[in-house]
Amino acid sequence: MKIAVLTKAIPSYESSIRVDNSGSWIDESVVNYVVNESDSYALEEALQIKEQVGDDSEVVVVTLGSEANTSKVIKDGLAKGADRGIFIKNDSNTTDPLTVAKIFAENLKSENFDLVLSGLQSDDLGSGQTGVLIGELLEMSTATLAIETQVEGDKIKVKRELESGWFQWVTLPFPSSISIQSGINEPRYPSLKGIMGAKRKELNTLESTPEAQNQSFVNLFIPKNEKVTEKIVGDSDTIVAKLMDILKNRLKVI
Amino acid sequence: MLQFSIVEQVILAVFLLSGITFFLYHLLLRLKIVLKGKSDFSVDELPKRIVRVFDEVILHKKVTSGNRKSAGILHALVMYGFIFFGLITINHFGMAFGFPIFSESFRHTYFLIFGAPWAILCTIGILGLAYRRFVIKPEALGKFSSTSALVSVFIVTLMITYLIDELHILSGVAEKFNWWLHSGVIGGFLFLIPQSKHMHLVLSPFNIFLRPFEVPNHGAIPIDMEASEEELDNLLLDLSRLSKDQALDIFTCVECGRCTEVCPANRGGGILDPKYHFILDLKNPMLESGDVNVVDKINVEAGWECTTCQACTEVCPVGNHVEKADEIRSFQVLAEGDVPQEYQKLLRNLQETGNTEGSSSSDLLNELPVYTADKELVLWLGCFAKHAMDPNFVSSVRNFVKILESAGVTYGVLSNEQCSGDPANKLGDKLTYQLLMDQNVEELNKVKNVTTMCPHCVVNLQKEYKKYHEIKYEVKHHTQVISDLLEEGRININPGSLEKVTYHDPCNLSRTLDEVSAPRNAIKAAAPEFFELDESGKDTLCCGAGGALWWKKDSGEGRTHLLRAEQVIESKTDTVVTGCNFCYGMMNQGIGPLTPDGQEEIKVKDVADIVAENLS
Repeated sequence: MKIAVLTKAIPSYESSIRVDNSGSWIDESVVNYVVNESDSYALEEALQIKEQVGDDSEVVVVTLGSEANTSKVIKDGLAKGADRGIFIKNDSNTTDPLTVAKIFAENLKSENFDLVLSGLQSDDLGSGQTGVLIGELLEMSTATLAIETQVEGDKIKVKRELESGWFQWVTLPFPSSISIQSGINEPRYPSLKGIMGAKRKELNTLESTPEAQNQSFVNLFIPKNEKVTEKIVGDSDTIVAKLMDILKNRLKVI
Repeated sequence: MLQFSIVEQVILAVFLLSGITFFLYHLLLRLKIVLKGKSDFSVDELPKRIVRVFDEVILHKKVTSGNRKSAGILHALVMYGFIFFGLITINHFGMAFGFPIFSESFRHTYFLIFGAPWAILCTIGILGLAYRRFVIKPEALGKFSSTSALVSVFIVTLMITYLIDELHILSGVAEKFNWWLHSGVIGGFLFLIPQSKHMHLVLSPFNIFLRPFEVPNHGAIPIDMEASEEELDNLLLDLSRLSKDQALDIFTCVECGRCTEVCPANRGGGILDPKYHFILDLKNPMLESGDVNVVDKINVEAGWECTTCQACTEVCPVGNHVEKADEIRSFQVLAEGDVPQEYQKLLRNLQETGNTEGSSSSDLLNELPVYTADKELVLWLGCFAKHAMDPNFVSSVRNFVKILESAGVTYGVLSNEQCSGDPANKLGDKLTYQLLMDQNVEELNKVKNVTTMCPHCVVNLQKEYKKYHEIKYEVKHHTQVISDLLEEGRININPGSLEKVTYHDPCNLSRTLDEVSAPRNAIKAAAPEFFELDESGKDTLCCGAGGALWWKKDSGEGRTHLLRAEQVIESKTDTVVTGCNFCYGMMNQGIGPLTPDGQEEIKVKDVADIVAENLS
């Protein structure tokens, strides 16, 4: 089985985020890029499926972005056990999920993957659409929010997480594109052999020419952080009246 | 005097030779395995080693330590019995072949001075030990041991038959029978010893002599990123192998269970049982494979529970370096790529940001003066202080700074200080460790004197880095700096409060750095009402944070981190002082929730706090 794992480099949670001069994106030079969390679960799921299905299977880790941000992401994937990497170079700031999906679809079409696994969503933009859109563009079956997978012959059974504690089992024929929820497995740590061996693995760099985006950032700002405390005193009637006034007229939330 | 026929002499010779052959075969079999171990035995500092053998073998210092005083004394009686019976035994067999080594008169004198008293004392000793093992049944001794029962019977028989022989109670056939019974038992020992824990009576003096001085004593695992595939395979193969010291430890183990008794993980309800997981579980695999590649036989889950506090090694009466968390963790991480999820985040933080918390800046670092070449001291902060892992500890750092300033010591921080790498080292991720160490050594080799409030940092900067690099600087723990300043009269203390004060010894400071007096000098100068906790000095109980367990998510299983705080509360002290930021944090976390309602919470202080508060 040929499995693609889409991984994205995102700013780490601890990075200090600053808006850049354009006012529509962050200053990437002060940001530390790391592997998107749910993508590392997708990679682990792919590696486990490979181990289960057999040795002629292949796991290919795929990423999109600038070389500076993504080099660590590919290396990490290869060190953990992916067989080869595909790096789709894109130095422009592509944020629209459909545009992103088209780049992936175009570049991955000839590979004829049986299975495309991606994280549920990227922790920076959080659209959660790329995996499904790629599946549609490559005419694959799709499922999102997977919390368990079982490969059975030419089908894959997926347990999906629904709202309020509900789950759903769906069976998909291959080829299939599935987005993986964090916590589905316990991601491995790259072994020394994996880290050293990663250097010798095949890494294809592909150029991309993204089309004009259907949507893009207009203005990016860091939320203003204000600390205001107001004590409301009086009997319960006065408190209720004052509270209602604040909620209705000042904060305009009801 | 008994006479022996040729037939008897032949039977005796065959019996003894087969016993000796059996004994030597098993001894050499084990030595052969031991010699396959990594890194050679070290015999440096010979006088210190000889003194140690005298202390621990002849004086039984460790055997009689802790709550095993009476058992230790009983054991000493048996051991001395064995020593005094050495000559008697040679004479016993020499006589049968017509070559006694004692003259009749000497034999009589020896009997009166050594033989008789030690036959009785040794019998008392072994009966006392048998009573303890089979009637009191301490948990640490484990399940019923048939060889121990047999040994008890053997020794009592030896002593009785000896006394009967010397006092000429029997005559004729009965006397001969008594002689043969005595001989049979001695021969029996040759068959019993090598395959049981009683091998310790042969190996432990050597094991104590050869024991490395460093605690812990794990070898360096240097990783060359440019290594060829073959070199890498050899390195990975090496990860599964024990050192010669460790291999000898395993055959020397006497199975007394002291290591398990003192283990904080075990006492806190964890599964880790160092006697089995770090020692006995490896014995049969070594004998079966005839090799030392048995690291993968260590229980992985137990290995992750270890706080690497070294209490097990400290307490061992036969000279074992018990802890093997480093071996199993390095094996799991580097060879298997298996790291518990909670630690993966920590290790990624270290790789990406050079600190445990993944922080991009530190307020404390910005607040303090930067080190320049004209200053006396580098103040190394460590991640705990730098990133306010316990926010209260920041004021302890300020107090230490106040002490330095009052003594007129010039100091500064290094703006590019990386984590010492202690958690990565302890978790077995030697690659991440090297990444941090290499950067730190480059910076530190430009300076002379370094001080830090974190004993974990001291251990790494001073001892661990040395295994990989030439280091040109000196590191002192801040309690040592304070103690020196007091001694030199550069700071003066007016002991102010008369509250009760006790001290919790951090494992890294007491057991690894061998420093128990400096913090006490400082505290006693500031607090006259000082008293010791039951488990103190090198016998301290770990706070629960060591071995990177500070970052372990509390799963509700095991309560290592609460044990020490509980003891401190029970001591009814007003203040507990410690010399380690991690201990400080653990105490604060434990004492709050454990303090009974209506009781005032015990104050947690660093040595720097109690000194700074009483500066005159």
